[in-house]
Amino acid sequence: MSLALTSATRLDRRSDRPPVTVVVAGLLVAAIVVVAAVAPAIAPYDPLDQDLLALNQAPSAAHWLGTDHIGRDVLSRLLVGTRTTLLIGVGGAAIASLIGGGIGLVALALGRVADTLVFGAVDLVRALPPILLALLLVVALGAGVGSVAIALGLSFAPFFAYVARAAYRREMAQDYVVAARTFGGGPLHVLGLHVLPNLAGALITQAAIVLPRCIVTESVLSFLGLGSSPDAPTWGRMVADSSRYIEIAPHAILAPVIAIVVLTASLSLIGDDLRHRLDPLRHARGAAGPEPQP
Amino acid sequence: MNTLAGLALRLGKMLLQAAAIVVLVFLLARVVPGDTVDVLATQGDLTDAQQQVMRHELGLDRSIGAQLLAWSSAALAGDFGESIRFRRPVAGMLATALPTTLRFAGMSFVVGLVIAFGLAVMAATSGSRRTTALIDAVNIWSIAFPTFCVGVLGILVFSVWLGWLPVLGSMVLPVLIVGIDSAGQIVKPLYEELREATAAAHVRTARAKGLHPLRVVVVHLLPTALPIALTLSGLVLAGLVAGTLTMEVLFGLPGMGSLLLNAIHGRDYPVIQATIVVIAVALVVINALTDILHRLIDPRVTA
Amino acid sequence: MTAAPLLVVRDLSVLAPHGALVRDVAFEVAHGRTLALVGESGSGKSLTALATMGLLPPGLEVGPGTRATFEGAPLALGDEPAMRALRGRRIAMVFQDPMSCLNPFLRIGAQIAEALQRAGLRGATARRQRTLALLGEVELADPAYARRYPHELSGGQQQRVMIAMALAGSPDLLVADEPTSALDTSVQAEVTRLLLRLQDSRGMAMLFITHDLALARTLADEIAVMRTGEIVEAGPAARVLSAPRLAYTERLVSARRILLSAPATERPGSDEPVLAVEGLAVDYPGKGLFGKPLRALAGASFTLARGRTLGLLGESGSGKSTLAAAIVGLRRPAEGRIRLPGCTLTAERPTIPQALRRRCQLVFQNPAGALNPRLTIERLAGEPMRLAGMSRAESRDRVADAIAAVGLDPALLGRYPHQISGGQRQRVCIARALLCEPDLLVCDEAVSALDATVQVQILMLLRRLQQERGFAMLFVGHDPDVVGWIADEVLVMHRGRIVDRCAARDLGADDRHEHTRCLLAARPDRLAA
Repeated sequence: MSLALTSATRLDRRSDRPPVTVVVAGLLVAAIVVVAAVAPAIAPYDPLDQDLLALNQAPSAAHWLGTDHIGRDVLSRLLVGTRTTLLIGVGGAAIASLIGGGIGLVALALGRVADTLVFGAVDLVRALPPILLALLLVVALGAGVGSVAIALGLSFAPFFAYVARAAYRREMAQDYVVAARTFGGGPLHVLGLHVLPNLAGALITQAAIVLPRCIVTESVLSFLGLGSSPDAPTWGRMVADSSRYIEIAPHAILAPVIAIVVLTASLSLIGDDLRHRLDPLRHARGAAGPEPQP
Repeated sequence: MNTLAGLALRLGKMLLQAAAIVVLVFLLARVVPGDTVDVLATQGDLTDAQQQVMRHELGLDRSIGAQLLAWSSAALAGDFGESIRFRRPVAGMLATALPTTLRFAGMSFVVGLVIAFGLAVMAATSGSRRTTALIDAVNIWSIAFPTFCVGVLGILVFSVWLGWLPVLGSMVLPVLIVGIDSAGQIVKPLYEELREATAAAHVRTARAKGLHPLRVVVVHLLPTALPIALTLSGLVLAGLVAGTLTMEVLFGLPGMGSLLLNAIHGRDYPVIQATIVVIAVALVVINALTDILHRLIDPRVTA
Repeated sequence: MTAAPLLVVRDLSVLAPHGALVRDVAFEVAHGRTLALVGESGSGKSLTALATMGLLPPGLEVGPGTRATFEGAPLALGDEPAMRALRGRRIAMVFQDPMSCLNPFLRIGAQIAEALQRAGLRGATARRQRTLALLGEVELADPAYARRYPHELSGGQQQRVMIAMALAGSPDLLVADEPTSALDTSVQAEVTRLLLRLQDSRGMAMLFITHDLALARTLADEIAVMRTGEIVEAGPAARVLSAPRLAYTERLVSARRILLSAPATERPGSDEPVLAVEGLAVDYPGKGLFGKPLRALAGASFTLARGRTLGLLGESGSGKSTLAAAIVGLRRPAEGRIRLPGCTLTAERPTIPQALRRRCQLVFQNPAGALNPRLTIERLAGEPMRLAGMSRAESRDRVADAIAAVGLDPALLGRYPHQISGGQRQRVCIARALLCEPDLLVCDEAVSALDATVQVQILMLLRRLQQERGFAMLFVGHDPDVVGWIADEVLVMHRGRIVDRCAARDLGADDRHEHTRCLLAARPDRLAA
């Protein structure tokens, strides 16, 4: 037992400090958020201004990242696009967690019949992969930052409903929930002390996993010409616009591609770390001895 | 008996899902302001009277329910209507696009599974650190690099900088990109499952019997990982959709992705509708088949 | 000893990345004899067995100084090909949990035939015949068994199949790692008898791993006691058990002896009933939509007075836990009623009103599951106080008192459940239940998951607390010694019915119900070879 104890505490201590990669990822994301906040102020040009005398120019002192096929400054578009890209990604993930988590919880709270009906419907919707559903919704809702965020939110919502239900069921089956009832604890007490903390953890974790997927899906939509409107550039749209000029102006496409990769990779690393950190079974696993016996 | 009831239930769910998709796609396509005739009207000059006649011909003046019914029954018979832009039967366009996509998705799927299973089995049975590092690398690769970004970089490196032609129109590069991406999505959980299964009691029993390591892996280890492998394959399929769409567009492959994209740009609703329904129903059917396969393989699942 | 020993192990160590889990273990097993490795959980006994088979889990390895011989020839325990050559032919192994040890995808027959093939038996027909013969030898004579899948068999049958598989290569040494611990008491006895018979008829040597000293006494010629990775005492079984040299062994031995001693003096009980169950029946919903409900409990009637303890004795599936769950309002009665202080539970009103729930407390089998891992001991134990509307300061004093009353150091209050031992966790659960000041304490297999020495400590704690506070106790268990020791009166349950009831001291009488006698005869120390 003493052995199991020390290994458990060691496990805790080790995972309390995030690994270097996650710290670096955190700093990168922070930098990107700052850029998104101040982008219009620091962008050297108007991202929509076309300089027809400087098409597809390579990076230079005037245009640090060059210009695209209609003479717009790539750096300015990248900086301003940060805001739209983040807005749509974060908005999508937020809408998804609110709608998905909300639907899941309401269905669970209303009892078995509601649960069966609601999750039956969620099951049907989930038969469509998020990218197809989002595509369809954008076609229906039209272009624009808001409609893309809503489309992403609705497409990823089923994941949150499932996560909410799984966490709820797992907690409700615990002996400590039964025990809380025998102390005279009502549903509110059980929810507040035992169920919701874990549920919140599960939903946050899921949001951290879905956020980079929202950003990628947005860029895929933009790439397919279904993203935000032309006056609100996103990184995905920049890739789409420049993809036909890849041979003459590789810089115009390389910049947004690298930006997307850096952001999604950083967010994924952070999400993965969060998942390990908030794992409800972590303590139980850490406490398991090397030789489980009755 | 129980097994049969289970099968019937699963097939029923499949049909329900397919029907739900048809309804959903149909309704969403109707939410869009302006219908097919409006689109045509902006392209050519049509008088109001002509538009009226056209709406009647296309059945657009009937109730949504009636339209849905008409469309579904025609679709069941293989008639998806006519493309607005090309004035050709949609079914024919699908028939020319589908083989390319099937070949592309199928090849990517196989490449992905081979890479994922190969690495996972190697790492789980040998415990070699180099293989697990490779698994981590493939996993991080697929998380960090969206396929279309890799596709862009691939074209840049191989076509523009190295000048290796022909990259466009060839399936080699996109299949590798999507295959590695699919592998990256499943290789880690697959490896973890297999590693757990290696330590599982019945695999230990097989070793305690003194069986040959190869037999332990094939007869006792791999079947254990089958349920999770099937689940993960379903995940890969969903991921393949995004990969297929973007890669076809990027590499100029004349498949469903290119068809869909062109239809979206041309607001060719009958084509959009048919393409999405066909892709989604195919996924639903494949998912049902994997579930049924799982039932048939695992004797513990009866109902 | 006349001949050279079959297996000799010297200086065995098992290394994990962060240190040794087994150190300097030495033992020998003679031809046809049995050595029992006895120890509590975490003592390293199973690792020792696995190391002997060359089956250590990944990440663990045999230490470099380890030496071993098999039939006089040197044996490298870390050498996989060499060990594989022995496994299944000269050495075979039976494990603890038979369900997970059998391949769920293969029929029983195929799994045994595979072992036969490995043992060198050629020809499918010959293997089929031999499979049936082996199944007959483990008392599964019906040929239909060979066509079954593992999940279609009971735990006892699965373990018989494992034994048949082990016998396929006619091994000289059978390593058995807690082969009966996961089984019901009566099945445990049958499997133990089978092992003894087979060993006798085949002249196998056996390395038997167990936590149960009584079982070791029945089976073994020699006993080695392990603790924290080392053998602390070894010798002939009779000597180790009757005259242990070490305080630790003494404690292990006496833990059981305390339970076998007559219960303490008759306690003054009152006649005031706390619990009255009348004609209680409980149904479980049937499988599927239209499945018929299953009656898990029928016709249960009894009363329990303040300050007294009622024992519910039965095997798994006997309905004893269902009965306990119904009494605390967690299962709806199908028929009959349960009278508790202040309320009566019936089919129409199956739950206790919230305000009255505290008077009826439950202690669970698995204390780890009953404590929310995200809260400190102080908050966990204080949960009933906070629910009663007490301030944090007020509740802190009460919690500290209760923690002290169950024999825990108040320094543990700031810890989390995974940072304390299983016995300590159960004490926290008891403290928490007592803070509700219950009239009735229902203990559902409350000591079954604990080591023998801890078991006795918890039982003594429960008894002392009952004497101090006078609550009535319903103690559910499967071990006749445990239930008989703590209870005043015992109800014996079998297949959802109460088949016998008597004063605890009369449990061993000869004129008891057939099933009661069967349960008592299945106790390991009563298994005459």
